[in-house]
Amino acid sequence: MECVVQGIIETQHVEALEILLQGLCGVHRERLRIHEICLKSGPSLGTVASEVRLLCDLEQPEPTWTVRHVGGSMRGAGADQISVLVRPTVESKVSKNVLRLFYSLGYKLDHELLKVGFAFHFQRGAQITVIVSSVNKMLKLHATDEAVPVTPGIQLVEVTAPTTTENYTEVVAAVSSFCEHLAPLGVLEVLRYLHVCIPFDFSSVKESGEAIRKLLHLSKPGISTGVVPTAAAAAASLMSDGGGTTL
Amino acid sequence: MPIKWVLYWQPNPGTTASSQIVNEVTQCVESMNGVKDGRWKSTLTFYKPIVRDQSQLSDFPRDFLGISLPEQPSKYFFIIRGQRLVLEADSSIQTIMEKLQSYKARVSLTFEGFQYQLGDFQLRVGKVSPTHSETLRGIVMEVEYLPISSVEKSRQVMEEFLDILQDSVSKRSLPGHFIHADSMFADYGLGDHYTSQHTAVQYAVVVAQVIASVQAGQGGRN
Repeated sequence: MECVVQGIIETQHVEALEILLQGLCGVHRERLRIHEICLKSGPSLGTVASEVRLLCDLEQPEPTWTVRHVGGSMRGAGADQISVLVRPTVESKVSKNVLRLFYSLGYKLDHELLKVGFAFHFQRGAQITVIVSSVNKMLKLHATDEAVPVTPGIQLVEVTAPTTTENYTEVVAAVSSFCEHLAPLGVLEVLRYLHVCIPFDFSSVKESGEAIRKLLHLSKPGISTGVVPTAAAAAASLMSDGGGTTL
Repeated sequence: MPIKWVLYWQPNPGTTASSQIVNEVTQCVESMNGVKDGRWKSTLTFYKPIVRDQSQLSDFPRDFLGISLPEQPSKYFFIIRGQRLVLEADSSIQTIMEKLQSYKARVSLTFEGFQYQLGDFQLRVGKVSPTHSETLRGIVMEVEYLPISSVEKSRQVMEEFLDILQDSVSKRSLPGHFIHADSMFADYGLGDHYTSQHTAVQYAVVVAQVIASVQAGQGGRN
């Protein structure tokens, strides 16, 4: 299982966010370049339609592959009261021929993306990962070298932490607490429905840019112009004292 | 990792594998000064597609199987023999397959027995039976030569050891013999350096032979 919060930020403010995150996390960023292939079961396969994601880490000297399955998010009154999405996820590292295997099993390519950016991994009440990435689409099949942004000028911000059914309350609290440092700055919107919608909308990459803008508009109109500069200001403040301030 | 050959017992026509043969083979290994070194167990599962329209069953692989090996307990291997495809995965891939609800386990076979140390060789003798059943369906033997990892460089020493083993077994006048089938590693994209994927492929080959033997035995009786 994992706890997750997602938001978006204008690319022009990403550098400021990076400095801010470095101050908050106390660790250096890691570069991120993930080729994500989303597969769906063929029409007659399975009791219900199923979806699986293959992630290829292109940042490694020899690209590594992971299969990821994301289940339905936690629902109910308890889930409604928390500002973080909790959902079951299972991952398995696999050998590089995984795409061929799933094609052989009757899965079809639904869409593919290239996420390019950076990540921070750190311990803060939970093992938290913050990923800031530009989401790109491929103009030709698997042509990661020719990828172009789905939403030019906007990047995705994801805060995640692994959890279990036993300790998710604590992990939710840790993620929420961390997000509070970012939320007032406006760089991260704690929007569960945004998270639910993004994977769906990315399946149609032509429309997703508009979808994100629309969601942004729906969630917090005017956020990108009015609040994000605050993050830049905070980052400037961090830089002025060496970036070592813990917020 | 060290080279390994997985052998299967080929019963003589009209005979079948039995626990008695397993005991005899075990005694044979012990008579070669094999030192018993614990138990071992592997599990192989055949998967079948869950389809909404049975007429489309032929669109999906019928020889899709998964195997867990004691040499890599945190890993799981998928094999589609017809397509010469072997995949290595963390064992959590089994959970993912369950959640996808597109394939389900049809039948599982367990390979289990004792392992022995003979100098630089490690031998594992085991019976093949359906999981949760004592019915013996076949016999396998793993021969591992610890100093060498190259498939090609080890071929001669493995063949020589196998000759010695066959001689020893034949003296007991057992109704059959061990066979090492060519697993055609190159077809699976596997190189000369031995890995657990090589072992998984060998088990896929061996289990097909064991099933063929059982079917031949049943045909003979009928």
